[in-house]
Amino acid sequence: MIETIRNKAKEWLEKNDGGCVIGYERASDGMTARPVFIYKPYMVGSLIFDETCVHNLSKYLLNRRGLKTAIVVKPCDSRGINLLINEHQLDRESIYVIGVVCPGMKDAHFGRIEDRPLSKCRVCLHHTPAVYDVLVGEPQPETASRDYSDVARIEGISIHERNAFWKEQFERCIRCYGCRQVCAGCYCQECFVDELDPLWVGIRSGPEDNWIWNIGRAFHLSARCIGCGECERVCPVGIPLMLANRKLEKESADLFDFEPGMDAGTAPPFATFLKEETLEKVE
Amino acid sequence: MARVGVFICHCGTNISGAVDVARVVEAAQKMPMVVIASDNKYTCSEPGQASIRQAIVSNKLNRVVIAACSPRMHEPTFRKAVSAAGLNPYLLEIANIREQCSWVHSHDREKATAKAIELVKMAVAKVIRHEPLYPREVPVTKRALVIGGGITGIQAALDIANAGHEVVLLEQEPSIGGRMAQLDKTFPTLDCSACILTPKMVDVANHPKIRLLTYAEIKEVRGFVGNFKVEITQKARKVDYSKCTGCGTCWQKCPEKTPSEFDLGLGKRPSIYIPFAQAVPTKPVIDTDSCRYIKYRQWLAAGEQGKKPPECRICEKICPTGSIAWDQEPQTITEEFGAIVVATGFQVYDHRHYEEYGGGAYPDVISGMQLERLMNASGPTGGEIVRPSDGTHPKTVAFVCCVGSRDQAKGRTYCSKVCCMYTAKHAIMLKEHDPDVQCYIFYIDVRTGGKDYEEFYLRTLDDAGAIYIKGRPSKIYRDGKKMIVLGEDALMGRPIELAADLVVLATGMEPRTGADKLAQKLNISYNTYHFLVEAHPKLRPVETQTDGIFVAGACVGPRDIPESVAQGSAAAAKVAGLFSSDTLVTDPITSVVNRERCTGCLLCVAICPYKAIDCETTRDTRVVAVVNESLCKGCGLCVGACRPKAIDLRGFTSQQILEEVNSLWS
Repeated sequence: MIETIRNKAKEWLEKNDGGCVIGYERASDGMTARPVFIYKPYMVGSLIFDETCVHNLSKYLLNRRGLKTAIVVKPCDSRGINLLINEHQLDRESIYVIGVVCPGMKDAHFGRIEDRPLSKCRVCLHHTPAVYDVLVGEPQPETASRDYSDVARIEGISIHERNAFWKEQFERCIRCYGCRQVCAGCYCQECFVDELDPLWVGIRSGPEDNWIWNIGRAFHLSARCIGCGECERVCPVGIPLMLANRKLEKESADLFDFEPGMDAGTAPPFATFLKEETLEKVE
Repeated sequence: MARVGVFICHCGTNISGAVDVARVVEAAQKMPMVVIASDNKYTCSEPGQASIRQAIVSNKLNRVVIAACSPRMHEPTFRKAVSAAGLNPYLLEIANIREQCSWVHSHDREKATAKAIELVKMAVAKVIRHEPLYPREVPVTKRALVIGGGITGIQAALDIANAGHEVVLLEQEPSIGGRMAQLDKTFPTLDCSACILTPKMVDVANHPKIRLLTYAEIKEVRGFVGNFKVEITQKARKVDYSKCTGCGTCWQKCPEKTPSEFDLGLGKRPSIYIPFAQAVPTKPVIDTDSCRYIKYRQWLAAGEQGKKPPECRICEKICPTGSIAWDQEPQTITEEFGAIVVATGFQVYDHRHYEEYGGGAYPDVISGMQLERLMNASGPTGGEIVRPSDGTHPKTVAFVCCVGSRDQAKGRTYCSKVCCMYTAKHAIMLKEHDPDVQCYIFYIDVRTGGKDYEEFYLRTLDDAGAIYIKGRPSKIYRDGKKMIVLGEDALMGRPIELAADLVVLATGMEPRTGADKLAQKLNISYNTYHFLVEAHPKLRPVETQTDGIFVAGACVGPRDIPESVAQGSAAAAKVAGLFSSDTLVTDPITSVVNRERCTGCLLCVAICPYKAIDCETTRDTRVVAVVNESLCKGCGLCVGACRPKAIDLRGFTSQQILEEVNSLWS
């Protein structure tokens, strides 16, 4: 598998002078992975791919708009590319996508790799990238049944309990904006929290301001979140951000039969109005 | 530094009845940047407006808040007043303390007053952030499109053309004339429909300012008032109109006969045809569904499968001018217009929906429109009224009113308005044709609202001896040669069973199929029945919510001929009014894009219902959205959709709204 990735990267670099391959290499701890930018064909040897390659690299493409770039993506990351093309941020022609069939990712804690896959991988439906120029690995069948048991847990409690739950979670937020910085869908010139005129969100990390930030972030990703889980992974205070994202993902799937990033052409539900669309399903 | 004047209206007792205006004035005087606050019995009256003008000048006001009725009511009035005192008219904010306060809180004076104070406070907070806005002028294309060549469209086209403007009259069928051309006589004067209609059709054809586009349909409409761009599909006639003289040889010789749409299936027409003798233009089209040679060509194209159709081409052989153009394809024409009149009219309700009346299976159960064709001297029977089944003359004729009207079970709640009158006309005409005929008319109510209509109806009873039976029949079935109508005489309270030779269903009006699709292309509203919706049912009956698009005639609702003609003329007057100036002033309350913030996701482009947003590339090669201010209606959808808040709506900026909200905390 890794040899295929290295060979394809090498081939592509040889043909595309000045191009860059974005992939993964072994981190200095000798166990986890970290992103790597490779500009020369002879350097492809450092490329790796295994269950530690948790990062979604697709956001790096925004820094290389218009430049020849090859990128190693997992299925969820690949949807980020489709999202960005759909939102007119990327040009498909300038990107060479090395799509890798995903075995499920595992996080590392306290110097050892966990036994269980990441929670996002346990509910993942798509194991083959949605977009690729070259596919590495054997295509895997999709998981047929959707598992929203995580969302059902918060849907099952009363609105007051839910409010209390999220208040407690958001209280911990230090507003480092790591969730935003890592997100492929967050690329505004100026984020609404950074705006001063008008000042939508107070600058201190008080409870109300944290609330507005976290809810605003989730809503700006409704029908856009591709489920890569990077926001939750990088959160230093362990806020279950994917739970909010997953709730909105479920709504957009139920109401509009829409999964973001599955292709680059389908107009998002916000951009369309169909007479058949109703809110009857919402109680 | 903002200097705000607040003017609070009593609106007679409309506001002061529920709100303590004196306390609102007192509170307003203490609000930030308020220089003067005062009240007035009627702020919209001339003395009320004068006091505002005076206050602006004497207090050097640069912002004005008027607490009164809804801005939909008097914002234009007050903008003019403010402007007369030398202030930019957009430095005004209306606090709606009538519809949104006094009218809905009349039971609680204390709370109503508190709410009125808060509404004023919000308006003051917002108006401080107002900036002067300036309307723009756009040129007007003084050319009108009339969609629909029925009597309404004809009238509108003639009136606009006579006012000196160019008109394109578009008709989807091969000839103009519409439904009125199918009628025999018209109530209540019994003048011949064709005799009064066809001269007008000829006027249209000969008018130097009118261009006829028959057999054509609207494909797409873009643009805005004064500047519409319309794509029109000219259907393939397979006849070259530049050569054809309308001599008629082809349609006399065509061997293929197919049921005539114009005669509602009672007669036949050839494949190359004009719908009726007085058709305008008097040039034929080839019906590609029935033409033998077209079928032959399709058979060839499909690889010669199945039976070989005859390779006819008779019309081509006998045409003296060589006008037959087999290879003619539909064409798209793009035209520019300043105004559009929609007069697509109606179609007769299809009585096949009435299973209890035979669902269209009985040849001797016909619609009122079919009877018109049977009565008509140029109809399929030459004006002889006979039973479609066996050609005999009916002696007992039953009429059933309200078929497809006033019938909730069939989803048609509305009254079609003309059926009572045309049924009365039919009874009179039948008696005139044959004194031995006896008419029985089943009715719910006889509605005869109109000049000389009731007198006409009385003739049905007195002269024609028709018998009116109150009640809607429950069933119609065949028994031998007779049609049996089962019903109840509701006045006598007894069941009735009538053996008739012919049953005429007075079918109602419904909008033309596709009226909804056309309305969507034009961005105008339609109701559940697909009748088009006027801007105001009483005061703006021919306008729509889309500026520059007018509606007239039976596409809006059931109308008879006098009303349709009046509406056609009314719409023409509106168009002529619009065309009376060279430019139009556009509202400056439009969206504006902050190019630095815009990420170019272009969600706004997809979301804009007016197609007013486009994209362009900045000097640093970023793609950003750009608003066409002439097209923008200021609906604000793009503002809501824009994640980076790069779009603002002038007059309703995020900052202004936020100030309003924040004012409630301070």
